[in-house]
Amino acid sequence: MTDKVVEKVAVQTEESRSQSRRAFLKGGAAVAGGVMFTQAASAREIQFDPKRAVAPYAGREEISTVLQDQSARKALGWGVRQYPYGMPSPFEKEVQRRTLEWLTPDSMASITMSPLQSLHGMITPNGLHFERYHGGGININPDEHRLVIHGLVERPLIFTMDDLKRFPSESHVLFAECPANGAMEWKGVQLNSVQWTHGMMSCVEWTGVKLSTLLKEAGIRPEGTWLIPEGADASGMARSVPVELAMDDCMIAYAQNGEALRPENGYPIRLVVPGCEANMWVKHLRRIQVTDKPLQHREETSKYTELMPDGTVQNMSWYMEANSVITYPSPDFKMQGPGRYVAKGIAWSGRGKVDHVDITFDGGRNWTEAKLTSAVLPKAWTRFELEFDWDGSELLMMSRTTDETGYVQPNMPQMREIEGTNNVYHRTAMVTWKIHAHNSEFGGMIENVQF
Amino acid sequence: MFNSKKTLVASAVSGALLMSGVAIAMSDKPAEGAQTGAFVTPDASANPELTGVRGYPENWREIVDAADGRYLDAQVVRTILGDNTRQRLVEKMDPTNPYSFEVHDSIDGGPHGNMQCKVPEAFVDVWERAEANYFNDTDFVAYGYGTPIAEEALAVWSIHVDASGNGLPSNDVGMNVLQGGDMYIQFCAVCHGEFGEGARGYLPLSEGDPLPLVTSDFNDPAPIKTVGNYWPYATTLFDYNRRAMPFWTPNMPAIGDAGYMGITGYILQMNDIPLDDQGTRIEDDDFFNAEMLMQANKYMPNAGNFFCDHRPVIANERCMSDCPDYMVGDGTGDITNYRTAFRLPDGTPQYNVEERIGVDAPGVGHHGH
Repeated sequence: MTDKVVEKVAVQTEESRSQSRRAFLKGGAAVAGGVMFTQAASAREIQFDPKRAVAPYAGREEISTVLQDQSARKALGWGVRQYPYGMPSPFEKEVQRRTLEWLTPDSMASITMSPLQSLHGMITPNGLHFERYHGGGININPDEHRLVIHGLVERPLIFTMDDLKRFPSESHVLFAECPANGAMEWKGVQLNSVQWTHGMMSCVEWTGVKLSTLLKEAGIRPEGTWLIPEGADASGMARSVPVELAMDDCMIAYAQNGEALRPENGYPIRLVVPGCEANMWVKHLRRIQVTDKPLQHREETSKYTELMPDGTVQNMSWYMEANSVITYPSPDFKMQGPGRYVAKGIAWSGRGKVDHVDITFDGGRNWTEAKLTSAVLPKAWTRFELEFDWDGSELLMMSRTTDETGYVQPNMPQMREIEGTNNVYHRTAMVTWKIHAHNSEFGGMIENVQF
Repeated sequence: MFNSKKTLVASAVSGALLMSGVAIAMSDKPAEGAQTGAFVTPDASANPELTGVRGYPENWREIVDAADGRYLDAQVVRTILGDNTRQRLVEKMDPTNPYSFEVHDSIDGGPHGNMQCKVPEAFVDVWERAEANYFNDTDFVAYGYGTPIAEEALAVWSIHVDASGNGLPSNDVGMNVLQGGDMYIQFCAVCHGEFGEGARGYLPLSEGDPLPLVTSDFNDPAPIKTVGNYWPYATTLFDYNRRAMPFWTPNMPAIGDAGYMGITGYILQMNDIPLDDQGTRIEDDDFFNAEMLMQANKYMPNAGNFFCDHRPVIANERCMSDCPDYMVGDGTGDITNYRTAFRLPDGTPQYNVEERIGVDAPGVGHHGH
């Protein structure tokens, strides 16, 4: 039964693409999501290739067959608790974290990217949260895990995980972004997917104890100006966090999206440094040493520092700047012929709320303000949408956000002029999606291009 | 890190011509003022603590308030920093830049102090929340959860070695550099190469003839960052090696503090890190210990080139129509001058097809239907 449904509904599988292609080639008006795409039929003339399109697409005959099929109501489904912990529909199997094997020499110090092109709303499902390991993923028994706060404090304290959960908790929706997000694109574009260009980040609801509560519990001495958080993984990940930052809004999180942290994201506890480089969000946190000096760890000197074109190096770059990206249409999709479209995307800023998102279709000369369609929270993803009519001509689409501090997201030539091409980190300039003209060789395809 | 900057100037004079060329290349107006081939030397002695003032325009708060609290507003940035973003970057080591996160002078009094960056005071909301959460929170009553523990009980866990040398083993712990080299070859060379040249895809630790970190041309190869030409602190090397290396079995008892010290000495030796003003090199029969590490720590060649985050330097208006050329296309108003990714063999853009680079097999993590 399932197989038959697969054949008859346009889903993102090879089989269905072929199926819809067959139906398509028979001609006739196409129906997708209840909307008639009469223009799409003539797309044959411009070598429209549904095999390359991910957007659900179905021809008239398919739809009529689906409407004849009663099997879905005839068959008895499975009983409760078939899946004690539920999983996504098998038809969503291509929505997954992916990695680029050539990025790192091994998979234990590597990264996966979230499939932003397939996500909706402002929350990333836990199983799709991007991963970054410096010493491999680990499973820690929470009963054997402790958090120590020591150093320049009045009362060095050791906490069990149960201790931490007794404290007052807070929950905040916050994005976590690897500062290397988009790092492959300083010299030009390499890959065609928003998963590759922006997927080194996710946004979930974090729940935990405010770090300031724990630090007050231990009592920082006046000379304590830095915190050195440290993880229990093989890399012993550590960074230096100034006390003002820690007291602002840092948390020690034990939950994400309502359940315990995933091992990939730091189970049983991790540091959350809202708006700042996710490298500072030390996973598997086991120790916070209060000091009067920064550590100058390898991850804040050799790595996660930004080489400028003049040979100087910017370091301690904590905040992630305002950024935005159009997730639809984006290179994973294909335009279905001229007509009305709704551009959708996400904007975020490490320094607060998103104030505006504007979209250009002409490479930056003219802009139209988009609607913010989700809750607008500080240091969280904000969703935006803009309806537009596509006449089939070539478009150069970019989104540009302005955050509540007044900072306007720059374009790539500006950022490259200042920071060169070997900076690696904090590449937060706009990206450009080129919509190939309807009647051109790659009609309707959406390509990542860079000015 | 003002002392470091002085050192930068000194090193430029004493033959590191690389950097003097840089400053000129960076500046739109190379001959301007006292900038004779080196970065402007800030006068640290005029304001040694920089407490509270840090060289902001005196009315910075008014400027921020006038912009409705938007401290990164384009107008605010321009009012405080001026219009020329290139010049702004040239001056990034100047403490009068209020967006420089830089603060205290070096801690250990040596030429390369432990650089302390700090949240700028102009970030008023951060400071206000920190004060409410902590500095002004006099009502806090401890919950009493958690267990007090003596600092001594944490000896095994306390592995941090900071850039001031805190946490280093005592001076009798160490190894002569030749022995350290043997250790290195046994435990490290498989990934990093016998002479630090790199192996199996891992980047080198050392370059015989290090590439300059300066890149002037868009098509220049990316500079190779090594311990010798990039790392600002030698202490980081010992801290990181002991903490996380060898990658497959970190913090090996078989290596121990003495072994990690010897390996650190060997890596510094292969990078030609000097130990004093005379350029004394690390020799094979030197007993490498914490004292020698701290000597080398003061002469890391690139230490003076680090500066604290100074963003934003780009201050755009939110232009909505007929925007100026620098905001359009390639920065000159040309929207046809762009790069694309490599095309697939058939000439089409990479797309959602199996040939797409790096695609995993589908279905990972899903239940089996």
